[in-house]
Amino acid sequence: MSHYKIIFTGPVGAGKTTAIESISDIAPIKTDASASDMTKTKKSSTTVAMDYGIMNLTGGEKIHLYGTPGQERFDFMWDILTTGGIGLILLLDNTRADPFQDMKFFLDSFQQFIAETNVAIGVTQMDLSNKPTINDYHTQLQGMGIKPPVFSVDARVKNDVSLLVQSLLYSLDPGIEA
Amino acid sequence: MSDKRKSPLKTALHGMDERAYKMMAMYLQGPCKGAAVVVEDLKAEIDIIDADSVKAKTLLKQRLTESARPIIALSLQELTFENIFYVKKPVKTSDLLFALSEARAILSVKKKSDNQVNSCTQNTASRQSQNPVTKPESLLSPEKDPVKKQATKTDEQKKASKHQTAMQLDEGKFNAFIGSVPGLDVNDPKQFPDAAYNPKDYFQGYVQSALMVAEAKKQVMRLNSGWKPLIIFPHNHEIWLDADDKQLRAFAGVGMNKISGPGMTLTPEESITASVQESLEKVHDQDAFLWKLAAWTSKGRYPGALDIYRPVFLKHWPNFTRLVVTPHALRISALLMASPRTLPEIAEVLKIKPQYVFVFISSAYALGLIGQAKREADEIVQPSVVKKTEQQGLLSRIIGKLRANKS
Repeated sequence: MSHYKIIFTGPVGAGKTTAIESISDIAPIKTDASASDMTKTKKSSTTVAMDYGIMNLTGGEKIHLYGTPGQERFDFMWDILTTGGIGLILLLDNTRADPFQDMKFFLDSFQQFIAETNVAIGVTQMDLSNKPTINDYHTQLQGMGIKPPVFSVDARVKNDVSLLVQSLLYSLDPGIEA
Repeated sequence: MSDKRKSPLKTALHGMDERAYKMMAMYLQGPCKGAAVVVEDLKAEIDIIDADSVKAKTLLKQRLTESARPIIALSLQELTFENIFYVKKPVKTSDLLFALSEARAILSVKKKSDNQVNSCTQNTASRQSQNPVTKPESLLSPEKDPVKKQATKTDEQKKASKHQTAMQLDEGKFNAFIGSVPGLDVNDPKQFPDAAYNPKDYFQGYVQSALMVAEAKKQVMRLNSGWKPLIIFPHNHEIWLDADDKQLRAFAGVGMNKISGPGMTLTPEESITASVQESLEKVHDQDAFLWKLAAWTSKGRYPGALDIYRPVFLKHWPNFTRLVVTPHALRISALLMASPRTLPEIAEVLKIKPQYVFVFISSAYALGLIGQAKREADEIVQPSVVKKTEQQGLLSRIIGKLRANKS
């Protein structure tokens, strides 16, 4: 059986683990550890390997949901994770010092995967920090020559994560009928 | 170090978002040991400005011309403005305390000088005080907005309407939610010419005009319609309306004739009542508000300003997690992001009823997201054919699963 994957990426604390938890049919397998160095100011634990969840489809198919570790020193794993992936969900934390720099970093890092598939961007923590706005993100992306969906997302809310993933899939093929 | 014998300097903060504002207030209270306290603009003795903010230049100019208060500017770059105390970022407590003590010294000198002048002009002032006092030009410019001033993270989270997740409509719920125009079948191509509407004939048009004025003036404005008051906060991109969705939906469909239209007035909001500050749940994001207002005004029709037989394009994806998601809106967006198309063509390619296209276009057009292809090339070039992916069946099942599970 084919191994279908949707990849969730983004910086530390952007909500990847929570987003996977929101739409997974199983309790996600987390590989968190106590945060240290650069992550300790963001949260008490962080993902050091990867998160994993599953969506069970009718007919017995499974969609595997993988969350990349947010820390940049684990980027050697990203190529392995994306192989065979359907598309990329990029989550950005709007309270971080420079979310645009984060966005550029991850879009550059996954450039080839995005070119082969597609990307949808979710901006989290907008209720805590409403700047930059979603329009500001679009302006930045325009300069990068891509026009992906960009939504404000509460990673704890299933409907937000669901809409973000749907937008990714429709970007791949607007002809899909649910 | 602060001098505890002195009362804290009353300070107004400018050019800071809610987080920076709160942080600075705490910084003055904590590390600066209460040398200054943040107060409303009108009660302030000095101004602290984030000189790296987008509007810093305007703010500084405005403060220098309109106010005689000492100004402290925080900036990454060294500033050479006269009469401004510059504190380099990242702000060091000692630097800020020094700037505050300098500002205090100026205030002290000014106070002495004012006392001397006052004693000479006491009689004149007494006469003038019998005349009506002119109100300050704007009590509610963005930086002076009391709602914004008092906003904390908790307040922002209290704005439930603003942050609530999207309502995703399916075809079954559409007609009951959006409504219809009696005697008009918007799905009949022969009736397409009659399926246009002019937003200016409805509340939507007045709201859009009011938003433009408030944005241009950067001033809090109240739209008086004889119905419910609507207050626009351009700085926060927010709208406050004392009505629920059901009431708004009903009012959206009422045509504003020549009699009721002129009754609409737009006035600067001089003071925010307690009822507004206490009912933050009635605060809406401007785009989300306008999006649903346009959908309810449209009732499945399209804006008459668009030629439906010429291709339209979508400037970028709408922020769907905070909007009412009408049937097939995500598919229409994905299609239009790929290439411009005419409205009937969108319905044909996606095999959906034109009313779903029209209502989406009406909302997106209200937000300024839709453009009509004007260049000849846009019409000559054939829109790209929608390629069916090999995984269409799989993707369809994933979407089915996601939609079935929504909560």
